[in-house]
Amino acid sequence: MSAMEGVEQQPAPVVSPFFHPPLTAQADSLAILHVKRDSLLPVTLRTTANDGYAEGAVTNTRFGSYPHSTLIGVPWGSQVRASKVDTGTRGRKTKNAKSGTATPASEPAEQPPQDEAAADSKKRKADDEQLQPPESPTKKMKAAPEPTIKPPQPPLKAAVEAGSGFMHVLPPTPESWTYSLDHRTQVVYTPDYSYILQRMQVKPGQTLIEAGAGSGSFTHAAARAVYNGYPSDSSDTTSHGKVCSFEYHAPRVDTLRSEISAHGLQPLVHVNHRDVYNDGFLLPSAVSPRANAIFLDLPMPWLALKHLSRSSSPTSPLDPNSAVNICTFSPCIEQVTATASALRKAGWTEIQTVEVQNRRLDVRRERVGIKEEGLRGVNSNPATVEESLSRLREVDAKLSEFHAGKAGVPGAGKVQSKAERLEGIRAELGGRKLFKEGRLVHRTEPEVKTHTSYLTFAVLPMAWGEAEEAEMEARWPVDMTVSEVKVRA
Amino acid sequence: MATSNGRIQPNSWVFLRLASDLLRAVEIKPNTIIEIGKYGSVPSNLLLGRPLYYTYEVLEKQEGELYSRLRAVPPSELNADVIAEEATPDESRAEPGTPSGSGGEGIDIVADDGTVIIKNNRLTIDDASRQALSHTEIEELKKSSGGKEIIEQILANHAGLDEKTAFSKAKYTLRKSKKYLKRFTVLPMELGFLIDYIMLKEPARTMEIREETLGLAMAWSNVHFSKSIDGDDNLGVTAPGGRWLVLDDTGGLVTAAVAERMNLLRKDNTTAQTQANNGAPEPSEVSMENGDSDAKPHTPVVHHDFPIPASSNTITVLHAAVQANISLLKYFDYDGNNPDPDHPLHNHLKTLSWLQLLHPEEDPTYREPETATPEVMQTWKSGKRGTYFKKRRRWERCKAIVDETRAGGFDGLIVASHIDPSTIFPHVIPLIRGGGHVVVYSPTVESLVNLSDLYSKDRRTAYLSALAQGNEPDKEDFPVDPRLLLAPTLQTSRIREYQVLPGRTHPLMTSKGGSEGFVFTARRVIPLEGGVEARGNFGKKRKVDQANGSDVAAAAPST
Repeated sequence: MSAMEGVEQQPAPVVSPFFHPPLTAQADSLAILHVKRDSLLPVTLRTTANDGYAEGAVTNTRFGSYPHSTLIGVPWGSQVRASKVDTGTRGRKTKNAKSGTATPASEPAEQPPQDEAAADSKKRKADDEQLQPPESPTKKMKAAPEPTIKPPQPPLKAAVEAGSGFMHVLPPTPESWTYSLDHRTQVVYTPDYSYILQRMQVKPGQTLIEAGAGSGSFTHAAARAVYNGYPSDSSDTTSHGKVCSFEYHAPRVDTLRSEISAHGLQPLVHVNHRDVYNDGFLLPSAVSPRANAIFLDLPMPWLALKHLSRSSSPTSPLDPNSAVNICTFSPCIEQVTATASALRKAGWTEIQTVEVQNRRLDVRRERVGIKEEGLRGVNSNPATVEESLSRLREVDAKLSEFHAGKAGVPGAGKVQSKAERLEGIRAELGGRKLFKEGRLVHRTEPEVKTHTSYLTFAVLPMAWGEAEEAEMEARWPVDMTVSEVKVRA
Repeated sequence: MATSNGRIQPNSWVFLRLASDLLRAVEIKPNTIIEIGKYGSVPSNLLLGRPLYYTYEVLEKQEGELYSRLRAVPPSELNADVIAEEATPDESRAEPGTPSGSGGEGIDIVADDGTVIIKNNRLTIDDASRQALSHTEIEELKKSSGGKEIIEQILANHAGLDEKTAFSKAKYTLRKSKKYLKRFTVLPMELGFLIDYIMLKEPARTMEIREETLGLAMAWSNVHFSKSIDGDDNLGVTAPGGRWLVLDDTGGLVTAAVAERMNLLRKDNTTAQTQANNGAPEPSEVSMENGDSDAKPHTPVVHHDFPIPASSNTITVLHAAVQANISLLKYFDYDGNNPDPDHPLHNHLKTLSWLQLLHPEEDPTYREPETATPEVMQTWKSGKRGTYFKKRRRWERCKAIVDETRAGGFDGLIVASHIDPSTIFPHVIPLIRGGGHVVVYSPTVESLVNLSDLYSKDRRTAYLSALAQGNEPDKEDFPVDPRLLLAPTLQTSRIREYQVLPGRTHPLMTSKGGSEGFVFTARRVIPLEGGVEARGNFGKKRKVDQANGSDVAAAAPST
């Protein structure tokens, strides 16, 4: 099931599927299964697995089971039908293997593995567990770890299509990863990171420092922004873009490292386990990352600023030849005030605080009118004054008919009853093209993220003093004979 | 790298931000004079090699000097006022007028003896007579002394300054500083500043696209550097590259943003310099075509007018007019009419018109020009021969671009166009590869609401039932194939700016109105042939719709 388990044992892809997706979904590579809107599942496709399915590796969702054999080799973006997978008996099949090789010794062998117990007791819960992306050290262990020694695999059963259920197989992108990843901390979502990277002018080939790597959402987007190719050999002198990521929470560092490696990003993302408040931003053996841009997602960014000056010792982590952009990401206004104050004192300029307000819009057709009476998801109030009049006249007519009927006047019963009316409306429904009826309207989606964090931006120009000024005066002397030439008005 | 240079480079465009916050685009050519608004002019050489993002002060011309000198104002000096205010927190709290403790600004706290402790603006007199200096006196001052002195004089002569609260005093000083200090800031040619610059001048030129909307659209387009890796020795792999299709009615702004992310926007100054130093002369066209045609294979000639486009990490711009309007690229040293082989866009930017895409046979450029045998060419004058080869090159380039575009396989589509997207999509969506990203920007929501509706769940269901019944879906009801896009989403982003100052942090009181800016995103997918039936519990019990209750159920969970 959770096919990304045991990622460390698998060879890391040389080239990231994020940057160079091949034409089709590949084995041992990350794919995003789009189950339904806002329900994305990151899965590393495997040719084999040891979770007891006759079909090999299988991903189960609420909308069907998908053996990986039906996914590997299909063109990206393909819609794939669910397969008939026997999910009921697999626990019994593998029980011995699991308890024998994998269950920790302290655990009594008779005790069934937890995942099986869950499956037995509560089907729904088991499904949810299978929806969980990789087993991460930051999560409490839910299932027995996968055996490291794999028993010989019997030949895989060919998958059989189920009658219903489908999903789409998508190549991974930072966006799909952001919306599918395992939340370890608050996630920096696309509306924020897209603006941050745009605003900090992050370009291919640059170096970006990220502190508070957290769940790795920003890491992936930043890696895409700086990527300008893999170093092909040692003689390659082009400066290659990189992301230097710092995180002080050890389990998160481990998880991020394994993800980065599984995603083929390890040549450009350097994950460091570090408390940057105290220990700064230098790479191992005091090498300067020579950063062009810095993103601080820390509770107290002002404590890290002292390590981000031009004159930090032993060496500055900043690129001495470029202006450096910084962005701090803080939810509270008090943090912003303290950060802005520290930035001013440290000589940063262009200090600006903004927040990004993003809304998604729902688009739908709103059908109003008395002809919608009795239908679902519509408004059967009169749509026009005329409809209202006709409704009123009808009521009136019914009333007089009622009285007439009582009085025994012939011709009673010519006015439609409500049941007849509804019947008529339903009968007409088949011929209507509801998808283009009614008025097209849009409104904000029901759930809105009204506040994520304040973004404080600033720029540190390159160091400038009298020596530099004198050097430039010599390099670009003002020649007064041409100074008379007026160039632009 | 050119992109990470913190200095003002010769012959590059920069922005000068004046005290009024207006931007001015200037090309810094060596040995010229640069006009800086009403501050006068300075020699460009005083700016070359100096740091970007620095603020410069135009100094008063000294006796015998022919030009004003510049002083680089250190950031510490710019921030000094606010820092000083923060440095004495106790004092400033005691300072009447600062909102602290129980009394905020505007609330009178009267001491026992009747004196007002907290200042407010109740007694403020708005009258020009409060300023003792007359207009002519200030004009005199301007001639004789520098900005700092003028401001000091003005403040000293303001009768009501002591009555002002700390906040309004700060505001007054700031306003006067802006007026009299001859300072300007040099900013690099970045898209954000370019947007600010155009927004003020002619917002319609870029479809009023805001920086936050541009960033959002670019992220969702997944555009990135993606040069193919062809059996690299070290990596030992082959990996495909990427191509993006762009419809750009923003004068080249969107193309520039795409190019920036593909590492194509800027010339690498270091390589340009080494080439200039080597002085390798470009092979001139005339000398080549004058040469014997037999000699041609021995001296392969590179012509720069119609380069054969690169195959990966490329931008294809589809345009409505005869030529693509990408004039804003001039700020990044790219001019399509003036080919520069050193610019990465030279062979990575491909342009074609709608006519070339949809009916190439009607386009004169796409039609193969007549071929001539070497014998015939021998009889031609060199000029005619030149024209002949030029025509061939133009045709080869056009054919390469058109054929490749029509073959499809793009990694993404980015649309910022005045053309109704529902008429763009039927032609262009099939050219996007499975899993590719589709992004449409529109300044207003209506066209995107219409577009989203074409992919609505109801419409897709109706489309599928038409297919299941073996009918060709009606073009009028289904202008686009609703199965081809997954998760169509409409969103809008807007930034809100805050003033962050000690004791007076709040959102800005005013900002720019105009278009909100909307982004439609979706991913291209490959639908299964035949019916698909959804599975799952959709939350509510759903009544089976008689009309649509065929074997093709709503694709409910897939949107």
